[in-house]
Amino acid sequence: MPKLHELAKTIRSKNAGVNQITFDVIFPDRDSYVRVRDGGALSREAVAALFRIAPERITDHVAFDLANAIKFTILRAKPSGSPGDWDILGCQAYGPLVDLDVP
Amino acid sequence: MTDDPRDMQRMTSDAPRRSLRIMISTGHLGTAPSGAESFAAGMATNPDYLVADGGSSDPGPVYLGDNRVLGQFVEEELELFLTASRARGIPLIIGSAGDAGSNHGVDETVRMLRAIAERHRIPRFRIGWFYSEVPADAIAARIAGGERMPGLGGFPDLTAEEARAATRIVAVAGVHPFIRLLDMGADVIVGGRCGDIAITAAPCIRAGFPEALAYHMGKMIECASLVAEPFMGKETIIGTITDDDILLTPFHPGQRVTVASAAGHSMYERETPFFERTLGGLLDMRECRYTEEGRSCRISGARFVPEDPLTVKLEGARKVGERYMGIVGVRDPHVIRNLDAAIAWCRGAVARQFGGVEHELHVHVFGRNGVLGDLEPCSGPPPHEVCLVVEGLAATDTLAHKLTDFAVRMFFLARIPGSKGSSGLAATTKETMRSSPGFVWNVNHTMRIADPMELFPVHVDDAGI
Repeated sequence: MPKLHELAKTIRSKNAGVNQITFDVIFPDRDSYVRVRDGGALSREAVAALFRIAPERITDHVAFDLANAIKFTILRAKPSGSPGDWDILGCQAYGPLVDLDVP
Repeated sequence: MTDDPRDMQRMTSDAPRRSLRIMISTGHLGTAPSGAESFAAGMATNPDYLVADGGSSDPGPVYLGDNRVLGQFVEEELELFLTASRARGIPLIIGSAGDAGSNHGVDETVRMLRAIAERHRIPRFRIGWFYSEVPADAIAARIAGGERMPGLGGFPDLTAEEARAATRIVAVAGVHPFIRLLDMGADVIVGGRCGDIAITAAPCIRAGFPEALAYHMGKMIECASLVAEPFMGKETIIGTITDDDILLTPFHPGQRVTVASAAGHSMYERETPFFERTLGGLLDMRECRYTEEGRSCRISGARFVPEDPLTVKLEGARKVGERYMGIVGVRDPHVIRNLDAAIAWCRGAVARQFGGVEHELHVHVFGRNGVLGDLEPCSGPPPHEVCLVVEGLAATDTLAHKLTDFAVRMFFLARIPGSKGSSGLAATTKETMRSSPGFVWNVNHTMRIADPMELFPVHVDDAGI
């Protein structure tokens, strides 16, 4: 079973406004994109389970065919840069996706 | 259309249609110098405007709350942009000056530009600027009068109390103050807080190009070379708008703007790849079409849905306290296995010692979940060493220092049942360090306005010699 980083060309996360982090997983070709899109590894439910968050914290989840990309956005526990928040840009939140098994 | 000769009809190589070319070399003014070679190559083509985004809400609330500037190369970049643009008579537009777009950020940027102009003996030109701050009391009064200000990104409606608690509030401008300042003859514009896309869209809309394409071009080139591939920061891109489409061209010889890189960038840093909100309406990118032309990418199909009534986004930061940080290393495997007990020991001691003092204490455990916090799914076997960063906040510098230093010391003095160590259970660094004051975003809301200019007073003056 391949890892997500073996199929994707870009795996990233970043602030989307001050209270959300958005994740972009972009594939180099349609085959790997469709495999992940339809295989469920990054479905709304799978992502909620991975980060152990309530599904309501995922505010947007789209398959963006034109860019061969899957994109989802989650609410932060507290706004970016609040005391106690280490990742002000949200740019390392994608870490757990890198070695994700893709069926 | 406009009577400004800079905006008059231009001929492109393939078709006789009018166009306007906007150059950008950085997604964030002053974080690092713009790539010199692609900047020079772009300027050599005589673009119609040079634009730069001075900041955003991205780096956190302290920049707005405490009037701080993130970039260490702001002056160098302003010097390059001002001298190069004035030498060719190209207008320069800077948005969200000073990172947060506060009045202080605008004033400081104008001051720096004036000083650079004098130093370089730049012939007299017109400098324009606008402010974006909104008095908290004015917002609180409107809420007290029954007006609802809905929260964005999961924030509840704004209360008058929360508005008053903000140290500083800015409204996010659209294209309007930039267009007004261009109309007033400004050659150089320093904007307060504004949407990233406004600095590019404003001259395009003023010149009569379709709003949808103007905003979309603003969106696509807002981070300069991040729209191209391979990944490079701070390299020049020129966006060319016509009445039918936009064309994105990279000026670093190693970069291309591809369908994949452009479409990929359209989703960067936003909740959805399909929509972008700005003061005045909603940009709809669902039907966009992309085609590659050499190293460039041509895009069409964006739509713009005007908004009525108008709403403006407000951003505000509230101070929590002064802040210190201390670093603690643990190598004793027994302590690492019982780390929660050590943290509880520290927290208990702090609660007893500082119980009567308002404070916050955060312990970041690197090696466990220091980066992701509650989002960390991994719970592997304990590592052989961990790093704890202790973050303490209190009302005064003295108290925050005392609190944080005490908390660090409590890891050293922690008593963990079964530990064989009796000479200190944590390795500490030399001194507890002062950090930036702690702020939180407490205003992230929208407010109705009747006129898109009403919160953004404009000023124009002479600069240079």
